[in-house]
Amino acid sequence: MIEPSENTGAKQTLQCTLNGSPVEMDVQLSKRLLHILRDDLGLTGTKRSCEIGRCGACMVLVDGKPVNSCLTMAYQCEGKSITTIEGISGDGIDPIQQAFLAEGGYQCGYCTPGMVISVIALLHENASPSEDEISEALSGNLCRCTGYGGIIRAVKSAIATRKME
Amino acid sequence: MALNRETSGGRWRIRPDGPAKVTGALTYLTDMSMSGMLHGRVLRSSHPYARIKSIDTSEAEALEGVHAVLTWRDVPGLNGYGIAVQDQPVLCRDYVRYVGDAVATVAADTPELADYALSLIEVDYDALAPVDDPEAALADGAPKLHPHGNVLHRAGYERGNIADGFEGCAHIVEETYITPRQMHAYMETEGGLFVPEPDGRLTVYAPTQHGLMDRLQLSRILDRPQASIRIVSSPIGGSFGGKDELNIQPYGALLALHTGRPVKIHNSRWESVRAGLKRHPMKIRMKTGIDADGRIMAHDVNIIADTGPYATLGAEVLNFAVEHVIGPYRYEHLYVSGVSVHTNNGMSGEFRGFGGNQAIFALEGQMDRLAYKAGIDPWEFRQRNRRRAEDPGPFGHPIAQTNGAEQVWRTLAESALYARRERLAYAASAPSSPPWIRKGIGAAFVMHGAGLGFGIPDPAGGRLRLAADGKIEALFGYEEFGQGLIATLELMLIEEFGFAPDDFRIVIGDTDRVPDSGSTTASRATSMMWQSLQRMRDPFRSALLKAAAAQLDRPAEELAIGEGGVREKSGEKRLLLAYQNLAAGSSEEIAVETNFIFPASDTKRIGAHLLYTYAAVAVEAEVNTLTGRVRVTDQFHAVAAGPVMNPQGYLGQIEGGSSMALGYALTEEAIMDEGRYVTRNFDTYLIPTIADSRGGFEVVPIEELPEGDPHGPRGVGEIGSVGLAPAIAEAVFQAVGTRISRLPIDPSELQKPTDALRKAVKDR
Ligand code: FES
Ligand code: FES
Repeated sequence: MIEPSENTGAKQTLQCTLNGSPVEMDVQLSKRLLHILRDDLGLTGTKRSCEIGRCGACMVLVDGKPVNSCLTMAYQCEGKSITTIEGISGDGIDPIQQAFLAEGGYQCGYCTPGMVISVIALLHENASPSEDEISEALSGNLCRCTGYGGIIRAVKSAIATRKME
Repeated sequence: MALNRETSGGRWRIRPDGPAKVTGALTYLTDMSMSGMLHGRVLRSSHPYARIKSIDTSEAEALEGVHAVLTWRDVPGLNGYGIAVQDQPVLCRDYVRYVGDAVATVAADTPELADYALSLIEVDYDALAPVDDPEAALADGAPKLHPHGNVLHRAGYERGNIADGFEGCAHIVEETYITPRQMHAYMETEGGLFVPEPDGRLTVYAPTQHGLMDRLQLSRILDRPQASIRIVSSPIGGSFGGKDELNIQPYGALLALHTGRPVKIHNSRWESVRAGLKRHPMKIRMKTGIDADGRIMAHDVNIIADTGPYATLGAEVLNFAVEHVIGPYRYEHLYVSGVSVHTNNGMSGEFRGFGGNQAIFALEGQMDRLAYKAGIDPWEFRQRNRRRAEDPGPFGHPIAQTNGAEQVWRTLAESALYARRERLAYAASAPSSPPWIRKGIGAAFVMHGAGLGFGIPDPAGGRLRLAADGKIEALFGYEEFGQGLIATLELMLIEEFGFAPDDFRIVIGDTDRVPDSGSTTASRATSMMWQSLQRMRDPFRSALLKAAAAQLDRPAEELAIGEGGVREKSGEKRLLLAYQNLAAGSSEEIAVETNFIFPASDTKRIGAHLLYTYAAVAVEAEVNTLTGRVRVTDQFHAVAAGPVMNPQGYLGQIEGGSSMALGYALTEEAIMDEGRYVTRNFDTYLIPTIADSRGGFEVVPIEELPEGDPHGPRGVGEIGSVGLAPAIAEAVFQAVGTRISRLPIDPSELQKPTDALRKAVKDR
């Protein structure tokens, strides 16, 4: 069976900002952002899992909004600012990542970059989300290992830490 | 005391693999790539069952950028694999027996080209009617899927005389329990990188739960010595039993050796679903009778497991189910028979809980039904019938005795959650608000075996050495797939030896470096690491001290091992010799190794266990009688598994395991229709989300072991995934009076028009 050949056809120039730096590259405009990041740019912190927008492992920020990179085509990134997990904390650790570490909000870690991205987007929009809002914002991020207990504790502790600061 | 971050104090630590995981810096094996690498793909069967008339690869081979198109002709060694029996073809020659069967494999410059090449391979099939039901597969005249027929394995157990047992019973419950084809749904699909090395060796970077087993299996397939293959197998993005058997490794290895180039394979989710293992669907019939005092007189069980086309560990899973339908209860008369049957459905195999999930769902269902029939409280009913200290194991075999059964059951009764059940009225008698939301509380009792059981090779061991750079290396042949094995080992090294975290390096998941520690399955790794360290601690300490004594020219008795190096034993425990200097000054390698066998019962019964973990689970659930949906609002788990080696890991295993059981009970089923998957991805295969996981959750570990117990911590990797489903079924019964005998629970069974609705409909 042939997959729809999204990656054939003429390449065009894509200009966008990636993790704070301007980038310009020649790609097929229908190529998925997930594959551009992982295969062309070697940014493998963004994970591949379902490729149909159901699991959130591939989550990145596009102009600050959480987006499934497996559903995003190159042309949709034109002129946009994209942040992947690699661009979150530079060489350090973001307080939200620190909360995941402290509470044990991960096991195999495969869902974690996407989860962290979604939490960052949530807390950026809303500094003190309710339980319903947390649940709503993260229900597109599947985790098979933790049962979400550690993730919920990490999000709550990140919220509490922010309030103290 | 409840286990959490606060109650764990300083033992609740940041995992050593944590920073790389939360920052996305960790390179999983499916993240790896290499310049000049090719992309591998596998052509899977178009039919659940067919005879292959011919395979024509010429067009695919002619395509530019395609470097190999391989079929059964290109398998140099054994064209078969399987941990227990090598009956699964690497590349099918004459028959395909399920939709995941591999027929050809391709390496090309790009993934797109490899896909295109697959589409050019012409396989001429003679499609046959699939055998998609295990009972039909057992019927006379059913097509034989293998020369030996359709029975993979039969297992049973008998005690007393079952026919007599039911005579004079005051109550008898007969029920048939049906459990679903559950998918592991690890977030990282199968894949890896396969690299032919300049010296002629092959390096395989691909997840597995037992690197040395993969090496053995690949050596048979490739017809090359094991020493010429290196398996690097951690870190892993989840496994849960699903990556225990070979998956893409044979194809990557064949393609890399054939082309002489690195080859990457990374399954799409759909390929993972169609080819991968699932939990065995089982149909379990039970007939159980009690006397007027509520004592179990007779328990008659029949298990039919759909094992799919090939063996993997299907026989072992059935053995485990037979043991666990007996479980932690006493019976006068017992008769269990089970059969694991080949079909053209998907592959069934190893999965967290290993047949215990199905068995215990059925067994606990019987206990609740019998208690209700006899008018006895379900807690009291189990209390009357449960095993007593010093009772033998389920097969009447000797086991390592603990008071776990009693401890967890009593702890459950003391929990706030379970105590609330007194206030919830039985089956739909009390009014509730809103009237369509009904609440119930249920519980389940679990005794779960650890280790592979008697009669199955179950090696264990490890190695400690002082490396040339002064790091103490702990080497184990175990894998990290998220459970926190590295963190647990780190804590053990700190607590058992007094090392600082910087003093040592943990080496796992690389067959060139590690000893044979056996598989990372069956809740065995933590307990085997602990036992290995007990065996190695004194010899390794003495070896370090002896070398230090020589270098320092002081008697070893005055020295001690500690943070940073060898210290003065008394006084201020001054640092005398850093490990780095100790290593530099030692002419001989300081190393100790231990090899032993996972402790097994003194029995002849294949699969019988020596070590068991016990758990009691209570759950509060809400049923919405308009939608038929069930929501779990609170959970309590008492777990008796000996000392807690790593609090964060322990809690995570129970939370994560119970989340899998939640999905098993409520939403998860890989549906097949005539041997084809209908459920292909997470749009229709529904695992729990955060929104399903908001209720309360408490874990109380019971750490106490009997005086002189030599076995230490028991495993907790599986037990969390077992008890929740039957507890939910009972909570649903308590809420709405409907008995659940099939998972996942079908909401339409629980929908009840309310009076208000009925009236509204009538008035129209
Ligand atoms: S890989 Fe994009 S949502 Fe799953
Ligand atoms: S930590 Fe493994 S999937 Fe979330």
